[in-house]
Amino acid sequence: MSSAEPISLYVHIPFCETKCPYCDFNTYAAIEPLMPTYVAALKSEIALWGSLLDGPEVHTVFFGGGTPSYLPSEDIRHTMKAITTAFNLAPCAEVTLEANPGDFTADKLAAYLDCGINRLSIGIQSFDDDLLQTLGRRHNAADAVHAYRQAADAGFENISIDLMYGLPYQNIQQWQSTLAQALELAPPHISMYCLTLEGGTPMERWVDQGSMPTPDADLAADMYLMAQDEMRHGRYRHYEISNWAQPGRRSQHNLTYWRNDPYLGVGPGAHSYLGDCRFSAIKSPREYIRRMQSVSPDSCGEPMRAMISSVPVVDEIEQIDTPLEMAETMMMGLRLDEGIGIAGFKERFGEPPSHFYADTLDELERLELLHTQEDALRLTHRGRMLGNEVFSRFFN
Amino acid sequence: MMCDPRLGCPPPVERLYGYVPNASDVSYLTTVSLRRHPFYPKGLLHRTTSSRGFPEERVRNFSIVAHVDHGKSTLADRLLETTGVIEEGRQVLDHLPVERERGITVKAQSASMVHLHRGHRYLLNLIDTPGHVTSATKCLALWQPLRELCYWWMLNRVFKLKLWLISCSPLRQTSQLFLSSTRLIFLSPTLRESMSSYTTSLDSVLKRAYSFCQISAKHGTGIDKVLSAIIEKIPSPSGSRDKPLCVLLFDSWYDHYRGVVCVVAVKDGSIGVGDEVSSYHTGLSYEVAEVGLLQTKRVPIPRLYSGQVGYVLLGMRNSTEAHVGDTFYHTGSKVTPLPGFIAAKPMVFAGFYPMDQSEYPVLRTALEKLTLNDSSVSVFQDSSVALGQGWRLGFLGLLHMDVFRQRLEEEFDASILVTTPSVPYKVVFRDGSEQTFLNPAQFPEEVYTVEEFREPVVLGTLVTPDEHLGKLLSLCQDRRGVQQELVYMDQSKVLLKYTLPLSEVVIDFNDQVKSLSSGYASFDYEEHGYEPAPLVKLDVMLNGRVVDALASVVHRDKAYSTGKTICGKLKDNIHRQLFEVAIQAAIGKRIIARETVKALRKNVTAKCYGGDITRKMKLLRKQKEGKKKMKQIGNVELSKDAFLSVIQR
Repeated sequence: MSSAEPISLYVHIPFCETKCPYCDFNTYAAIEPLMPTYVAALKSEIALWGSLLDGPEVHTVFFGGGTPSYLPSEDIRHTMKAITTAFNLAPCAEVTLEANPGDFTADKLAAYLDCGINRLSIGIQSFDDDLLQTLGRRHNAADAVHAYRQAADAGFENISIDLMYGLPYQNIQQWQSTLAQALELAPPHISMYCLTLEGGTPMERWVDQGSMPTPDADLAADMYLMAQDEMRHGRYRHYEISNWAQPGRRSQHNLTYWRNDPYLGVGPGAHSYLGDCRFSAIKSPREYIRRMQSVSPDSCGEPMRAMISSVPVVDEIEQIDTPLEMAETMMMGLRLDEGIGIAGFKERFGEPPSHFYADTLDELERLELLHTQEDALRLTHRGRMLGNEVFSRFFN
Repeated sequence: MMCDPRLGCPPPVERLYGYVPNASDVSYLTTVSLRRHPFYPKGLLHRTTSSRGFPEERVRNFSIVAHVDHGKSTLADRLLETTGVIEEGRQVLDHLPVERERGITVKAQSASMVHLHRGHRYLLNLIDTPGHVTSATKCLALWQPLRELCYWWMLNRVFKLKLWLISCSPLRQTSQLFLSSTRLIFLSPTLRESMSSYTTSLDSVLKRAYSFCQISAKHGTGIDKVLSAIIEKIPSPSGSRDKPLCVLLFDSWYDHYRGVVCVVAVKDGSIGVGDEVSSYHTGLSYEVAEVGLLQTKRVPIPRLYSGQVGYVLLGMRNSTEAHVGDTFYHTGSKVTPLPGFIAAKPMVFAGFYPMDQSEYPVLRTALEKLTLNDSSVSVFQDSSVALGQGWRLGFLGLLHMDVFRQRLEEEFDASILVTTPSVPYKVVFRDGSEQTFLNPAQFPEEVYTVEEFREPVVLGTLVTPDEHLGKLLSLCQDRRGVQQELVYMDQSKVLLKYTLPLSEVVIDFNDQVKSLSSGYASFDYEEHGYEPAPLVKLDVMLNGRVVDALASVVHRDKAYSTGKTICGKLKDNIHRQLFEVAIQAAIGKRIIARETVKALRKNVTAKCYGGDITRKMKLLRKQKEGKKKMKQIGNVELSKDAFLSVIQR
């Protein structure tokens, strides 16, 4: 890839104070002693990629996890320093940090702003204390409101909050009141996720064993419709299936994923998509640290795959051929309200989508899941609810 | 393409008309499996390489017959262990997955063993009784409560060889006396006369018995006694080596390398490699390629002599040439054929279709292979509007069908749809003509031309402790049974006779009997001709479209409840789809039941970011794979489970 093309950078922080019962991310509680060596390893991985890729422009940075706000703010500062050294961080780059409502102090927030973080994503999840307890969160509704105000007061203009629906025990009134409180805070960006019971999580087991009720899929559908209505009234743009934003506040970093554009992920278990390769780093933080301690490769200028595999923490590399790239572009792009731009698609793949997917598109139109417009393919209202029925049809 | 003529022919008329239901599931599956022992019988092989050393008086032929789950296989295991055919203590599970799973024996075989008794070596042939043997004359119905006696009687009659019976634990349910351990009973031929009344209690049977001794196959005690008793109490076969060859074929299976393996009993004369023999039934002649004894494997020997039981390879490539009950003789010689068997008749018919029409040839091959080893399955070509090309298969009963389906799936990895099973109904038209139909699709549309419908009826015999009588009476009532007899066999045992429609019996009657009586009642049945019945065709519609594969023929009085049940089951088994699915049961144009599967409202991955793409994509692919396993009927996707749910009442 040419270093002219800007990339997004994801930085994984695998630490959590406690592990939430629904979470299946690569994150761990009670490995705090690893923090110092971990940050050192992370910095060397950043430096390594910077030199391998020849310091490309980075237009978004996202500290995700895990709980990045659980890390001492000094560590964030050092990591940011490593990023600006290794890469060409764009002047107006969006730099997001995921935070837990309980972690904020005025000093911490000031330190974030100081080192270049300009967007916070706060995991509020709900404004209902009982549900927060069900979710195993450490904060309550008051903490959440307080944290939000603290961040805003500290000077953060671009704040996103996460909410969850379709939860065990959650009723539509609780959801309505959570939506109302969210609108009262009026954050620039809101993500609302329907609970997915991921395999192997404690919550899946509880539901399986019957000690927790199975969330009602129809009720979740009602909640989704309610969210869409409420957000429309609040003048939010429903720009992705689970994301709403005020004008100009869409998540630039996440748009990279949905547009199937290149990104680099650093840290254990982080995924990257560069050239025609998608790859991931080994998941174990300990092993990650161990491997980064013995690093001295020099494979600049080699083909992408060889270069990637020279990085000691890279675990799995998947070659993305054109049909797959196309299908993934459809799967990700149709999640957006802007849809699949026909011109952009043609530029990327040589022909418009109708050339490759004529029958599928016909069928989807007939099923009223998709409509083709002059400039773009977009999901219908019904298609948004039934996205997987659409996406799966592009894979063979 | 069709190498098995049964797979390509329309049903022969006599096959449909001449239908008499008789064999039951239970009998088909209660024979002893010996194929489960994969060990090579080393010691035995060397000692028995020549069977000449076993004149008739040193040969004993016997069978183990008892009700299902009464330990036949266990006893066989112990006998084989004690005689050194298999290693001690190494009980091997039934080797077919379906056998392991269900704890039943599907494919049975025979085995020979040698036992040293009072200084002489004896050749003992444990003879598998094929399910077909149960097809006997009506008078045997009297003997049903003491089923093992029937077997004895039949074997003796049919084989014309001195075959005796070991019955282990006869009818646990009928007498507390037998609850604790397995017993060995020998019955003298004269006892038959005294058993003319089925009310004779077991106690008196035992008093009249030759002898009986207490053993436990499970714990391996008293096995020596069994072997000694077999030698002492069972007479040797009556044939003669000097007479012309006369061989009874009583079982066969297909070996992919050697062709059809015929299991035979030699009545008279001897048979060896190179002999030219003819089949009485087909008139075809063969050169004997190999003869031998059956142990856990085939052990070739030069000749089989009168009284002995073993296998013969005749170079047959098609299992239809091997008729169970056929007599073989040296070509050119004159012999009187042995009586043979009445072939088992299929009583339950169901459509078997490939999930995907492209799998038709694969399924055809699988069916050909499997029916080679199970000639009791009848095969007709069939087609369905909803499911395309397939077959209509006839089975001895529902368990037989289920086992067959499972073997197709497990051993051949076939993906099959099975339609609602039905029994052979008859329709009598106003012009006097009569027709049998095996498929609801053949139900006459112009009902005004029909004089009456007739359904097959069975005479069922139930033996139960009297505390369960009430429940069983209401079960029979519920299944449209008509009581013929109710007799107390002793203070606490009741014998019930009911005529029941076959259609009410085949599906789950036996299960119900067992569960209502905590396993203590036993049920058996035999054909009882046809009786008029007001039958209707119950159609099932999905979104207004009739699905022929789900249609069934039912008694008019049961139409509503059956329709309701079917709709309910389908509702539970049809997953939510992009559109609402209306499930309706109808008789003609009249809708009698309806259920609705609501449309799927929401199915979209909530979170999809960089780290998730590969995983999410895999999930979507899996979802799509799942869809491919669905059968598209109109705009409705039906899974295999949905079809199966209708079958399993």
